[in-house]
Amino acid sequence: MIWLPLYVLFYTLVTLYWARIAAQANGSDQTYFSAGHDLQPWVSALVIAGASLSGWVVLGGASEVALHGFGQPALLQAGIALALPGVLFFKRLWLVGERLRLSSQAEVFRAYYRSEFLVVVSTLVAVLFAVGFAGMQLRALSGLVAQLTGDAVTAPVVGLALSAVMFGYVVIGGMRAIGYLGAVQTLLLAAALIGLAGFALVGLGGFDALNAGLVALAADPAHAGLFSVAGVIQFTAGIGREAAAGHEGTALASLGLLFALMGFQASPLAAKIVMSTRNPRGLAAGQTWVLAGVGGALVVGCMVVLGAAALIDPGLAVPQLLASISPWFSAWLFIGLLAGVQLVAGLALFTAGEALVRHIYKPWFQSSLNRQDTVTITRVVIGVLALISVAMQALTPVTLSALGALALPLSVQLWVPLLGICWLGWFGRGAVMAGVGFGIAGVLLTEPAGHALLSYLGLDLPWGRWPWTLHSALWGIVPNLCVTLLVSAVTRRIRLGEEAQDIRQLLDVTLRSGPKVRALQVTAWSVVLAWVFLAAGPGLIFGNSAFVGTDGAWLLGMPSLWGWALLFWAAGLGMVWFLSYKMELASPLTVGIPPYAPKPRLRYDQTVAEAARLRTAVITIAAGFGIVVMTVLSFGG
Amino acid sequence: MSDKSPAVDRGILVFAIWAVFGFLGLGLFLEGMAHDVWGIAAIGVACVVLAFAGHIIVNGIFDTGFSQGETVLGIAIYGGLSLLFVLGALGGGMTMADFYSGLTLFGTLGAGFLVYLFTRHGLRGAFSRFHGKSASLQKGNR
Repeated sequence: MIWLPLYVLFYTLVTLYWARIAAQANGSDQTYFSAGHDLQPWVSALVIAGASLSGWVVLGGASEVALHGFGQPALLQAGIALALPGVLFFKRLWLVGERLRLSSQAEVFRAYYRSEFLVVVSTLVAVLFAVGFAGMQLRALSGLVAQLTGDAVTAPVVGLALSAVMFGYVVIGGMRAIGYLGAVQTLLLAAALIGLAGFALVGLGGFDALNAGLVALAADPAHAGLFSVAGVIQFTAGIGREAAAGHEGTALASLGLLFALMGFQASPLAAKIVMSTRNPRGLAAGQTWVLAGVGGALVVGCMVVLGAAALIDPGLAVPQLLASISPWFSAWLFIGLLAGVQLVAGLALFTAGEALVRHIYKPWFQSSLNRQDTVTITRVVIGVLALISVAMQALTPVTLSALGALALPLSVQLWVPLLGICWLGWFGRGAVMAGVGFGIAGVLLTEPAGHALLSYLGLDLPWGRWPWTLHSALWGIVPNLCVTLLVSAVTRRIRLGEEAQDIRQLLDVTLRSGPKVRALQVTAWSVVLAWVFLAAGPGLIFGNSAFVGTDGAWLLGMPSLWGWALLFWAAGLGMVWFLSYKMELASPLTVGIPPYAPKPRLRYDQTVAEAARLRTAVITIAAGFGIVVMTVLSFGG
Repeated sequence: MSDKSPAVDRGILVFAIWAVFGFLGLGLFLEGMAHDVWGIAAIGVACVVLAFAGHIIVNGIFDTGFSQGETVLGIAIYGGLSLLFVLGALGGGMTMADFYSGLTLFGTLGAGFLVYLFTRHGLRGAFSRFHGKSASLQKGNR
């Protein structure tokens, strides 16, 4: 099989070519981290869409449909769910970044809340995306290559090679390379998704054959659950403790999944792209037409076709499909998948490396570090993170999967601090920190990673994963919001810092709504709530039978929930357009933003304090490691 | 850095167009050859033509032509594939479908190239692109 290595070689050359172009455009290390805030808006729009969908849409989404059918309709609304947070946050986040001359989420949290805790949480989320979330996708991809080559090349070797390619362009070109290449990668991913769905349809005999196969499946009582939502909620003890009646896909499980999907654009990865962009003119078009429109259509169309085909005939699942078609097509489609995975993996590695070095190591332990050394250390850290991910893919896939599963629900918890910065200025520092703390606890207590940790410490929780069929994202965000609101209500008199006050003033003045927008506010709220209720909330139970005739036949010739999802994808696209343009949440902004001029402050020599801090950190890490090793040796892992 | 943006924008678009339509066209062309179905190969050729059209549109948007590197790469690939085709035809291992598929590809690309030159530079200008010596002589005779 010569085609696959040939195409991979060609792809590698292309990545290195763009890394070189990016490095030349960077000129020096000064613009390595943010592309000089100069990424073209249309490039950013494509990269945000591509990173939001990533290889997950094929490797995760389609296989979820292939395994569980249409029982989680929120999955089919991924295009809209992924776009909504960007509509809400990106324009304001860009303004904050531009005003304070910042280029990452952790910096914004530090400047606005003066909270090291939030900096650490943001960094942790980036690391989880880099090692876990992207690692899971890379692992699936490596397995795919091993399968395609008949194990001539083993999965760990493939993982190492693919990571090396990614490492190459990320460390050479920095954020600019991720942007330039990301635009091409997004289009390759879209082409691969369309191609795979096309081949699946051809393999099955066309769209009619697909629906005929689904009808046959639905007629079998054993599979009927694949085509319906299992009630609004089921008060089970969670996966692994108590099985739900029928299946786990309740309407509120869908709502939880919707929230989890909305985590990506609250993550430091998305913020990194937004704050590296020249201006916010492409945000509305990117979120509306690229992500909600084209991306949403790919999800509700191609991803579902691909998954449904594998549901009918497991021989049409992605790995088998790739193995069955001509090698040149197989190689091309694989490159599309690789591009999608590397887009998010490269971005995550870069964001995590930067956060660890620029936002944790440098301010805490070595503030005198110059830019060149900062970039060099970041490159080393990116390499180390990539190696850790590869090692975990090969040695500890279960742990990798548990960590990867934490990335999105933990990222959702960053909604609250972002809401505080962008919209609700009365969210106080302490309130947000307490809320995020509770949110993290909620996620950890309902995810396998938290269970494993507590079990290791001798505490067995009486519930399993996702109790009451609710996703951990929901278990986190509800207490997070409640605590934040409660504490903010009690501590409203505590004033914000200088930077935060400046930001509040800037947002109030620059983005003051006109009378037309103010008149539409109630409508906007109503539309969003109605959409969430019907497309991914309790209203989904209407979707079970909305397009089913009295004789039980499917009125649209396709499963009722698929038709429901198509209807609400179209409605969701209208909603995103309405919010972006009519409500001006992401509409183009033409005013110039002068930089914030901080009051002069005395700078003290931190060398001694930093050295002491570093010593303490090293001793703590060494002691912690020693205790863990001794515990494992004494009592077993 | 910003002044390099148009070139970068164009480069990204050109790469994206060829990565999607070019490779799809190549795949379909090879599929047609492999299964001896001229129709599939012809669709592949159409995809390649579409990629060229996209490339030319992008050139038009950025008010530029093909770069020197692109021209050299294009001619080299065209020449290499033509050579392979001729050798294959001489070797006698080709079916009629393969033969017509090849003719369709090279004929379409050759004709398309001429059409591009004529529309961009005009009949006389297109001729002058290849006949530099004559053009310089004409200048000297004036």
